[in-house]
Amino acid sequence: MTANVLEQVRTIASDIFSVPLARIHNDSTPETIESWDSIQHLSLALTLEEKFSVQLAPEEIEGMRNIGDIAKLIETKLQATPN
Amino acid sequence: MPIVIQPYRQEHEIAVQQFNQRLQAGGAEADLVFYETARPRWLPTSGASRLFNEFFLALDGGIVRGGYALKHQDFSFADGSTRSVGYYHHPLSEGIVNKAHATVGGLLLRDAMLRSPLLYCLGMGGYDRPLPKMLLRLGWSHYLVPFYFRVVHPARFLREMQMLRTTAVRRFAMDLTAYSGGAWAASKAFHLFKKLRRPRAAVCDVEVIEEFGDWADALWQQSHPKYAMTAVRDSATLRTLYPPSDSHFTRLRIRRDDTDLGWAAVGERRKDAKYGSLRVGSVVDCWASPQNALPVIRAATETLISAGVDLIVSNQSHKDWCAAMEDAGFLRAQSNFIFAASKKLAELLQPFEETRSHMHFTRADGDGLPRNF
Repeated sequence: MTANVLEQVRTIASDIFSVPLARIHNDSTPETIESWDSIQHLSLALTLEEKFSVQLAPEEIEGMRNIGDIAKLIETKLQATPN
Repeated sequence: MPIVIQPYRQEHEIAVQQFNQRLQAGGAEADLVFYETARPRWLPTSGASRLFNEFFLALDGGIVRGGYALKHQDFSFADGSTRSVGYYHHPLSEGIVNKAHATVGGLLLRDAMLRSPLLYCLGMGGYDRPLPKMLLRLGWSHYLVPFYFRVVHPARFLREMQMLRTTAVRRFAMDLTAYSGGAWAASKAFHLFKKLRRPRAAVCDVEVIEEFGDWADALWQQSHPKYAMTAVRDSATLRTLYPPSDSHFTRLRIRRDDTDLGWAAVGERRKDAKYGSLRVGSVVDCWASPQNALPVIRAATETLISAGVDLIVSNQSHKDWCAAMEDAGFLRAQSNFIFAASKKLAELLQPFEETRSHMHFTRADGDGLPRNF
């Protein structure tokens, strides 16, 4: 996973969840971030799709369990996207 | 199993019935059930028509976890363009009774946004409901479409209006006013006052019509550039929305000196517990150039009064139609009829705070036609 994608995902998550960037880690989950509810989860997915120009399947959105995994998912999507 | 969202087909009908049973068993309100037939009764797909309704389901293996309806309709915009816009309605998720499915509601909305990026919601029952809460948090543009009412029979209104008769003291006061004739006198005084203040109106010809003809196309062409956003209301669309076979609506053609000014569709609402036994009429839909709104609203109002309704209600978004409602003796009350636009749709409506009072939305732009009449 590149640091660049992870940092962008952390920044987006920090903005959406209204949590300081320093509190967003690889292993941050809905259990550790109080404001990460189902609506903010959707908001995160929509923002990621827009910022990275990728499309996530419903099961991928449901499977977004922690920040590190989300960054990996985005990176996989970017690699699969033809330039 | 992962959730998959796909069109509702006949083979899903039993799974939808089971979904509805789980919602009811889980304590959902009685009216929170999804359509049990895959083919929409209201506006099913028909030939090449661009006005149609379709259903989608969130499936977890063969189990239904949610569903929504999407109405597609052409809208005209201030820039002169006509675009297909989606109306997102009846979203229902098993998440309302089982938190394990809390993400389904969001997935349904996202699916609709992918299928129809220019998407709106209308009505929704107020900002305290789950859907508008979600839309606001996702950054949709929104506002309350003004609500108007006119009391025709004040004594009956006071005795039957269950929404207002919420406490024993209120019920006593309302009954006292109703039986003393105070309500009648106050109403007469109010309408006399409004009559003295309202603009004088030239006499119009009001005709009850069976069907919208070509004349409605001419009205549409003349008037639609004057609205920032409006659903296409040409004669073909109107014949689909208000077919001659539908006896719930009265269609009015309003003319002056043999020139068409506008039209209205009015009807009496189904009985509803909140209105008691009141007969409630509705100005469901209407069309004219904004400067001709008043004669159309007057014609609609007089038609409903002649039909014997006790109360008339309407929602209007455009400022000139709102002014016409007030000039026709209507009062404005707290609205719970929310218009909300997706970000893509809102981009076409900037600056939204200014544009919203130049859009033409009525009850007919929601799902009220089949539900309430």
